[in-house]
Amino acid sequence: MDSRQMSETYDVVVVGAGFGGPVAAKKCADAGLKTLMLERSENVGEKVISGLTIPFYGFLFGPAFIRDGNPPVERPADGIINYIIKDIETGEIDIDDTLRIPKPLSPIIAFGYNAYCKPFCEWEVQKALESGVELRTAITVTDVIRENGCVKGIVTERGERIGAKIIIDAEGSQGLLAIKSGVRKKYPPDAISLADIYDYEMPKEALDRIFGHTIRFCWGWDEQKIAPPLGHGNGLMIWPYRNSVHFMQDQCLRKDGGPVYNLKKDLQTYHHNITSKLPWWRDEIAPHITIRARMWEGFEIFVGLDENLRSMPNHTDGMILIGDAAGLENTELCDGVPTAWFSADIAADVAIESIKAADQSKEFLKRYDDRIKSHPVIQWAITATNRYNLRYAQKGHDEEKLKKYIHDGWGIGSFTHASTPLLTVMLDLIEKDPMIISQWIKMYLRYYYNWHHERFGSEGEKDRTGRRAKEVSSGTRRLKMGLKLLDIVLRVLSPLIRVKARLFLPLCRHVNPSMAAVLPKIEPAYLRLRKKLEEKSAPLSRKIVDAVICSDPSIFE
Amino acid sequence: MSKKLNEIPGIEWTGETGDFIKVDGERCTGCANCLRVCLGNCYEIVEKKARIKSLDTCMECAACWYACPEDAIDFSWPPGGTGFRTEWG
Repeated sequence: MDSRQMSETYDVVVVGAGFGGPVAAKKCADAGLKTLMLERSENVGEKVISGLTIPFYGFLFGPAFIRDGNPPVERPADGIINYIIKDIETGEIDIDDTLRIPKPLSPIIAFGYNAYCKPFCEWEVQKALESGVELRTAITVTDVIRENGCVKGIVTERGERIGAKIIIDAEGSQGLLAIKSGVRKKYPPDAISLADIYDYEMPKEALDRIFGHTIRFCWGWDEQKIAPPLGHGNGLMIWPYRNSVHFMQDQCLRKDGGPVYNLKKDLQTYHHNITSKLPWWRDEIAPHITIRARMWEGFEIFVGLDENLRSMPNHTDGMILIGDAAGLENTELCDGVPTAWFSADIAADVAIESIKAADQSKEFLKRYDDRIKSHPVIQWAITATNRYNLRYAQKGHDEEKLKKYIHDGWGIGSFTHASTPLLTVMLDLIEKDPMIISQWIKMYLRYYYNWHHERFGSEGEKDRTGRRAKEVSSGTRRLKMGLKLLDIVLRVLSPLIRVKARLFLPLCRHVNPSMAAVLPKIEPAYLRLRKKLEEKSAPLSRKIVDAVICSDPSIFE
Repeated sequence: MSKKLNEIPGIEWTGETGDFIKVDGERCTGCANCLRVCLGNCYEIVEKKARIKSLDTCMECAACWYACPEDAIDFSWPPGGTGFRTEWG
C-alpha cells in the first residue's frame, strides 16, 4: 500500500468513542499529538450498552480528568446486597450484604457510581475535544492499512484512507478491526455472554426508600430458572439510578463446547420468573415501575481465565488494543470501565513514547503489554475466579460452596483477593504524590454534591437546580477548614508520607493472605459493629451529608 | 429516517443499514443457533437454511456470528450513523 495515497495523516487515530477511546485520545492530544477519534454511531454513546456501576478504583486510580472532574452519574452505590434464592416458590432467601460501606462514611464514600453510558461517554468526549482531539462520528472503520507488515492507517467504509503513526483500537468486545488486522481471533461462543437489559422508570422517592444506594445481585440454583446458570454468565443484577432502575441478566452463548443455548426462550423465562415470583420485586418494585427501554448486547466473559484467549496479542506494529477490545473485562464485577481507563492511559503513554522515539514497531510497543501485565488491578480484575467457580457449586448442589463463592466475590470475602492489588496501586500513587489523598477526598465530596444537585459538566454549567449555598452552616465551615488543613498537613508531611508508602509497598503482598486468616475471625464482630453504627450514626451521617450539600462546590475543586 | 418499534421500547432504528449481516447459504446447515440467540427475531429457517427476515430490530450484538458453528454468518457493522440507537444503555 502506498502512503502517498493517504487522504490525510495523524499522529494517533483512536477507533471508538466509548469509555476508553476518549481517555486515550485526550492524553495523546494533551501531549501535543495530532489526534483523530472515529466513532461509528451518529451521536457518541448511543450504541454503548452496559449495566452499570463503575467501581471506586476506576475513579481513584484512573485518569485525573475524570477523578477531578464532574462526570454525570446516576447514583452513588454504597455496596451490594446478594439475594441467594434457595427456593423461589416458598420465598426462601438468604442475604449476604457484607460488602457495604458502613455509615457514617456512606453515602459520601461510595463503592462505585451507577451511570448511563451515553451521558458519561459524551462527557468524556467533550473533555477530549477541549484538549484538541478531532472527532468524526457516523464513520465505520473497516480495515487497517499495512505497509511492509506495519499498520500505518485505517480505511473507512467510504474508502477514505487515513494515515496514523499509531492506531489505538478502542472498538469494544467484538473486535472486528482487531480480527481483520490479524491481531486477534474471534472468541468461541463459550467466551461470549448475551446480556438482556430492561430499563424501568421509577420515582426517586421510591428508589431512595427501597434501594437507598445499594445494588442487588440475585443468585439461584440453575433449575429454578430465575437467573442464568451459575458460573455461565454474570447472573442477574439490578441497579438503582436517579429516576430509574436497570435490570440485567446475561448468559454465555454456550457452556463447555456443548450446544448453544436457546437464549431467546431462556432469558424470557428468567425474566418472567424473577419478576413474578420474587416477593421483593413483585411486591415492592413492580408497583412503581414503567418500562422505558429494552436492549441487549454481547460481550466477552472469562477471557482472562482462559490461557489461549488471555495470550492473544494486544498490540502489533503500529497498533494497540485497549479495554474490551484487548479482552480486559473484569471477570468478577462484570464491568470493563476501569480496565478500559487504565489501559487507555497506558496506551496513550506508550503511543507518546513511540512517536518521540520514531519507533512504532511491535518490539517497541511491547512495553504496553508489559505494563498491562504488571498492573496489579488489571491483572486481578481479569483473573478473579469466584464467578466462574459458581458452576462447581451447582455441580454438587453445594450450598456452602455457593455461599462462599458469593461471599468471596461480592461480599466482604473479596478483601481476601482484592486488598493486595488495590492497596499496591493506592500506595504507589501516594508515594508518587501524597496530595492525591486530598484529590480522592475532594472527589468523593464533589461527586456526592454533584449527584444531589444534578451538577455535571464543568464549573456547574449544567447545574440543573441552579442552587448555590444560601447559608453556610457550622458543618460546612468545619468541612471547608478541614479540607484546607488536610492540604497543609499533606504538603508538610509529604516527604514522610512518601517514605512510609515506600516502606509499606513491599508488604502489600501479605495483605491478601492476612485477610484470609483474619476475616473469618473478626467478621461476626464487624457486622455487629456495623449494625450498631447504622443505628447510632444516622444523625452524624445526616450532618455530614448536609455539610456537603450546603457547601460552596469550589471547596471540592 | 429513524423509527421506534413499540414492541422494543426505548430504541430507535434508522432504516438505511443495507444488509450488514449476511448468511452464506452454502455453508449454512440449518442448525438454527442464530435463531436461538437472536433476541431481535431477525432470523428464520426456510427450506432448512437460516435466512435473515429483517435487520430492522438488530441490536448489533453479534451473538449470531459467535453462535454459528459453520462460519456461515458474515457480520459487519452497519454503515456509520445507521442501525439502532438508545439513550438508555
